[in-house]
Amino acid sequence: MHQIVCTEGLTEMAYAKFAGAPLKVHKITNPWRSPTGTLPALKTTEESTRSLSKPSNIIIHLRKQKYNADYDLSAKEGADTLAFVSLLEEKLLPALIYTQWVDSKNYVDVTRRWYAENIPFPLNFLLPNRIHNQQLERLRLVRGDSTLEPGEQLEKELYQDALECMTLLSQRLGSHKFFFGDSPSSLDAYVFGHLAPLLKVKLPNGKLQQHLNSLDNLRHYCTNILILYFPSEGGEPPIHKVSVHSDSSDFDSEPHKRRKQILSVLFAMGSMLGYAILMGIVSIQHVRPQAALVGPRHIEEGGEEEEEEEE
Amino acid sequence: MSLAAEAFVSQIAGCRGPERTISRIKQSAEPWPENATLYQPLREDQILLSDCASSLAVQAYLRMCNLPVHVSCRSNAEYMSPSGKVPFVHVGNQVVSELGPIVQFTKAKGHSLSDGLDDVQRAEMKAYMELVNNMLLTAELYIQWCDDTTATEISRPRYSSPYSWPLNQILAYQKQWEVRRKMNAIGWAGKSLEQVYEDVSQCCQALSQRLGTQPYFFNKQPTELDALVFGHLFTILTTRLTSDELGEKIKSYSNLLAFCRRIEQSYFEDSQAGSSSRGYSKGPSLF
Repeated sequence: MHQIVCTEGLTEMAYAKFAGAPLKVHKITNPWRSPTGTLPALKTTEESTRSLSKPSNIIIHLRKQKYNADYDLSAKEGADTLAFVSLLEEKLLPALIYTQWVDSKNYVDVTRRWYAENIPFPLNFLLPNRIHNQQLERLRLVRGDSTLEPGEQLEKELYQDALECMTLLSQRLGSHKFFFGDSPSSLDAYVFGHLAPLLKVKLPNGKLQQHLNSLDNLRHYCTNILILYFPSEGGEPPIHKVSVHSDSSDFDSEPHKRRKQILSVLFAMGSMLGYAILMGIVSIQHVRPQAALVGPRHIEEGGEEEEEEEE
Repeated sequence: MSLAAEAFVSQIAGCRGPERTISRIKQSAEPWPENATLYQPLREDQILLSDCASSLAVQAYLRMCNLPVHVSCRSNAEYMSPSGKVPFVHVGNQVVSELGPIVQFTKAKGHSLSDGLDDVQRAEMKAYMELVNNMLLTAELYIQWCDDTTATEISRPRYSSPYSWPLNQILAYQKQWEVRRKMNAIGWAGKSLEQVYEDVSQCCQALSQRLGTQPYFFNKQPTELDALVFGHLFTILTTRLTSDELGEKIKSYSNLLAFCRRIEQSYFEDSQAGSSSRGYSKGPSLF
């Protein structure tokens, strides 16, 4: 099944793998069943810790439990981590949000469809639209412009920042295996969490993906982490994913389409009948069997009278 | 792709890419005019911490580039700005606001502080600038508008001081509401003041570690990162708020203090002598 993966969840899973923390991943589709009401969420066995949801909180918690992937970093590298995470959040994340949730083609074709198919009723009607509005509002507030609309101008500005950010990351990574030496750190978890959805989820409007694919070292970096730390889920080349997705979308839309057609015809007929009854065009009368013979003759006479009048 | 193509072409042409690009830009760009003006809100009564920090950062940057600019204080500077944010500069027939676009603008005119950096250093510089914007600026906004004491005693009265009742109340509350919604959207609304101070401390620690014992962030020459950091740190150190905790966080890093003093001495010493740029500091200097 083709999955939408979210940045925060990936970041946390990646960090846990890097730090060697034993983390059990529950794949649920209903956010109301999560301990904090939103996804992703971390639930611990300790009673003193309440459930956590932001990646930074979860990473801090894991560090306190002595699962620390940044143990070997120098002071300067720790400072660099903070700086590059800020760069990701300010420059890349808005574009990712835009491309998944606000860009009309991507949202309708991929994101909303996935949510509608995978989340139980009644959330599948409410949730995608609510998230779409929330994300658009967030972009408006962050850019400081309350009249922002999804469109070419906004897309151009956001993508420009994001492309520059990816180029900067590529320059900083160079030919190294990870950002700081030979073992991954929390910065690698954040970068992976932000870039992997671009690699794995095929979107109709894929400018960000194209740029990422052109940066060889970043692409190898992401696939490397996937192969090393997520062997069960990763490793498939994107080309295969594309064909699977298009097949499944054709297949899925067929039964839904028929069902929708039948339902809409029934609904239309029902509403027309109801209207006719209310207006008195058609009236349902309980005719007793003895009077049944009278009925048709009466109508026929009425019909003849009408014809005469018309002539 | 475009960077690689440009490098390839310049190699064929037989000269180094950056130099050729800059000389080409210098030929086509207009010179920096004498009457360039920077607009900000009124210094004594109206301007707030975050705006003052941004304005000082731009002034520091322009001084580092040796570009003269007049500072003009207007009560409606925020509304005049093309993006709604201050400061903005009026150069020739163009109006540009905020440090990022101003840096790009001066670069197009052939003045740049970061040309000597290699790719890795440039990536680090941009990242640290985002760190300051993400943490320091957001913390300043939070303290100004989301902390009730500061908002009531300082921010709202100052922000709306040029206006009479009832406009002052309306504008002040509107601004506060807008900033609080933004904090909500980026996840800062749930933070307490203590957590915000902690974030500022972490940010300063990162800056201090990156600076180390060097005079500027990228050794001998200042860059736009130095201007930005100076703008924010100096303003925090010289602004009186309801509590001194923010200033204390910075004072605990001696190399940051020395850094601010160094830039003040090198680039703002002549402000009293009345040269092209008039005054900048809002309160006492660091001496």
